[in-house]
Amino acid sequence: MNTKLKVSEISKIYPGCTANDKVSLEFGSGKIYALLGENGAGKSTLVKILSGVVKPDEGEVFLNDESIKLNSPLDAKKNNIGMVFQHFNLFETLSVFENLSIDSEKKDEDLRVLVNDILKKYNFKIDLDIPVLNLSAGQKQKVEIIRCLIRNPKVLIMDEPTSVLTEQETDDLFTSLKQFSKDGILIIYITHKLKEVLSLCDEVAVMRKGKVVSVSNTIDEKIESLANKMVGENLNTIKKKINNLKSSEEILKISNLNFKSDDPYETNLNNLNLSLKKGECLGIAGISGNGQNELFQILSGEIITEGTSIMFRNKEISKLNPRERREYLMAFSPEDRISQAAVPELKIYENVALNNFKSSNFFEKGLVNEKKIKEHSKKILSNFSVNTDNVELKSQFLSGGNLQKLIIGRELITSPELLVCFNPTWGLDVGAINYIHETLIQINEQGKSSILISTDNDELLKLSDRICVIYKGELSKIMNADTVTAEKLGILMGGGSID
Amino acid sequence: MSFDLNFIGILIGAIMASSVPLILAASGELITERSGVLNLGVEGMMIIGAISGFALMVVTDNLFFAVIGSMLSGLILSLIFGLLTQSLLTNHVATGLALTIFGIGMSAMIGKNFVGIPGKEFPLLFLNFKESIPFLGPIFFGHSIILYFAFGLPFLTNYFLKKTKTGLIIRAVGDSPTSASNQGINVTLVRYSCILYGGAMCGLAGAYLSLIYTPQWIENMTGGRGWIALALVVFATWSPIKVLIGALIFGGITILQLHMQAVGLRIPVQLLSALPYIMTIIVLVVISRDSRKIKLNTPTSLGQIFYKEK
Repeated sequence: MNTKLKVSEISKIYPGCTANDKVSLEFGSGKIYALLGENGAGKSTLVKILSGVVKPDEGEVFLNDESIKLNSPLDAKKNNIGMVFQHFNLFETLSVFENLSIDSEKKDEDLRVLVNDILKKYNFKIDLDIPVLNLSAGQKQKVEIIRCLIRNPKVLIMDEPTSVLTEQETDDLFTSLKQFSKDGILIIYITHKLKEVLSLCDEVAVMRKGKVVSVSNTIDEKIESLANKMVGENLNTIKKKINNLKSSEEILKISNLNFKSDDPYETNLNNLNLSLKKGECLGIAGISGNGQNELFQILSGEIITEGTSIMFRNKEISKLNPRERREYLMAFSPEDRISQAAVPELKIYENVALNNFKSSNFFEKGLVNEKKIKEHSKKILSNFSVNTDNVELKSQFLSGGNLQKLIIGRELITSPELLVCFNPTWGLDVGAINYIHETLIQINEQGKSSILISTDNDELLKLSDRICVIYKGELSKIMNADTVTAEKLGILMGGGSID
Repeated sequence: MSFDLNFIGILIGAIMASSVPLILAASGELITERSGVLNLGVEGMMIIGAISGFALMVVTDNLFFAVIGSMLSGLILSLIFGLLTQSLLTNHVATGLALTIFGIGMSAMIGKNFVGIPGKEFPLLFLNFKESIPFLGPIFFGHSIILYFAFGLPFLTNYFLKKTKTGLIIRAVGDSPTSASNQGINVTLVRYSCILYGGAMCGLAGAYLSLIYTPQWIENMTGGRGWIALALVVFATWSPIKVLIGALIFGGITILQLHMQAVGLRIPVQLLSALPYIMTIIVLVVISRDSRKIKLNTPTSLGQIFYKEK
């Protein structure tokens, strides 16, 4: 069975942004194709068009030389195009089997037989009768893949599939994908991770700003050549930070941190202990959903736990709320910029005022001193190179990078002794990432401490002095960063143990 | 002794009758909410159903038309809600509140000419069994067809949601409309259908009040039952069987406290009148403690507006 898929002159324009600009590509079965590009390069739009979720403004899609109309996800299914989205399209409260049966015309009994065959063939281990919310990210992805396999797909599109996987799960996924490819399924693999392109794919198409800038065989490419094509300039990457701790003064000490949640979506934390020195960056690695959220909220005071001791600069702060902790010179940058860190409908200066309630300059007798806040906000915008000087702008109109700069700037301008940040560069472009990384290195150099909770191992290895891994609510032992490799982290993140 | 037993049977029969409007409205709203739509217009749809049913009964002298008409009127009102929230993407809460206010006002206006007109006798089934069998007779027999339907409905709803494909699709839409849409499910159509079904059931609940329970038209005769039905759905954590239990407790304590008032117990009347509300909430909270189950039953997208990507 030979499959040929061709997209021809596809364009999609959103207000203020050309997501796809006359994109033309050809694919044939038996190979694994990479679609490489940064966030916002237009990869996701293209695959949404191929899966019928989004309609192109112009252009055509050909399957085996026949033009096909993809007006809805149903059309994609009818044409045997399967798609595994980056954000899972699963129903968390339904069981695995219900998730699979919902769009299958087969009888439940027949479907169960078919699914069990697939599980056996590809050596997947999943309980079909438990709710999806109890599955790990890797298992959820397998459910998505099974959902595609049920329909005998000719084309399987994977959108950034490894962003939530451990190294081991990634290896398993690659084995499966190669097997699918051998079975004649055409695979299109969307990613911004260069190593994956080289280790998995046969051909690579690079997209930048909505256009296809290069198509080549992966054997002709190297990491550097792909990176330059992807970014469109020579990268000046920051070198790994040099570990030069001057002080041995302990600034933060957490002992016996336990957290038990009634919420099945949350992770329990088990007896975490850690300490942090002045001027040090402690990295906490882990696959998302292993307790990072809960840990961050306990550090910031959003969750108060019983029996935990948090000593910060020799004061017990475990019972204090976030505002009180800020007064003790702690600062926080949450993962979700839009819903946790900033209020998108509020103007920039209003968002700045939000975490400075106590500042006597800003509020007098219960009234807001707008002038003072605006001056202060202008200072943040210029000091932290936010790409606007209009403090009246609603925060929702800032790009992710600029919003993150504003959030970190808002925290740092008060010269805190400790900054806790959670995935600070999540979804940002290279320029903004570099800026945030430089800023984080700077604060350590100024003798301030930081805790970096991140799911990005490269970032952790680059910025941390010491690193530990959180897995299922437990911390690994804390290691010096120069003794840690990505492989070690990967093993620990997957629940394995080293040495 | 046999007299006492028979009296208890009659009491239970009365309790069952008083809980029918709650069961109907709450079962309808439960389906609506399971698809992720929060329609606070239950009270409004009920009262429109009540007046439409009564008015049609007076005009056509046909109870069948009256019942069908009340369901249609509830459905039409919910269609307005559907158009606003699903097609024009208005806020569910505000639209539902408006619907209730509109329904109460509209029913009062239509009802002006129908005040004081006596109702028609609604046929009751198995009347001879009711009298011939002591205790069990008044419980199981001598009720209207709508009561039997109402008591079967929660079980049907439960089966429908858990075992049928359509039920699965409704739960999926309530869980994640975006995922459902990406799977090729027409979210808007599913939600419209659930809204219309909920509206029809609320209309029927209204008709039960004005045609059977107290066969006449009185302004504001639903008396907040729509709100109780809404609260029942939430406190029953979207489980149809628990809705039935809650409705029976509410109906039961309402009837019992009336008897207690009549007997002249030395408990303040206000406290007795508040008793049904308090007890229903306490019982439902106690039987729905399992937070895991609540999470699995709660429609995650409840009240959220769904935009389809274009």
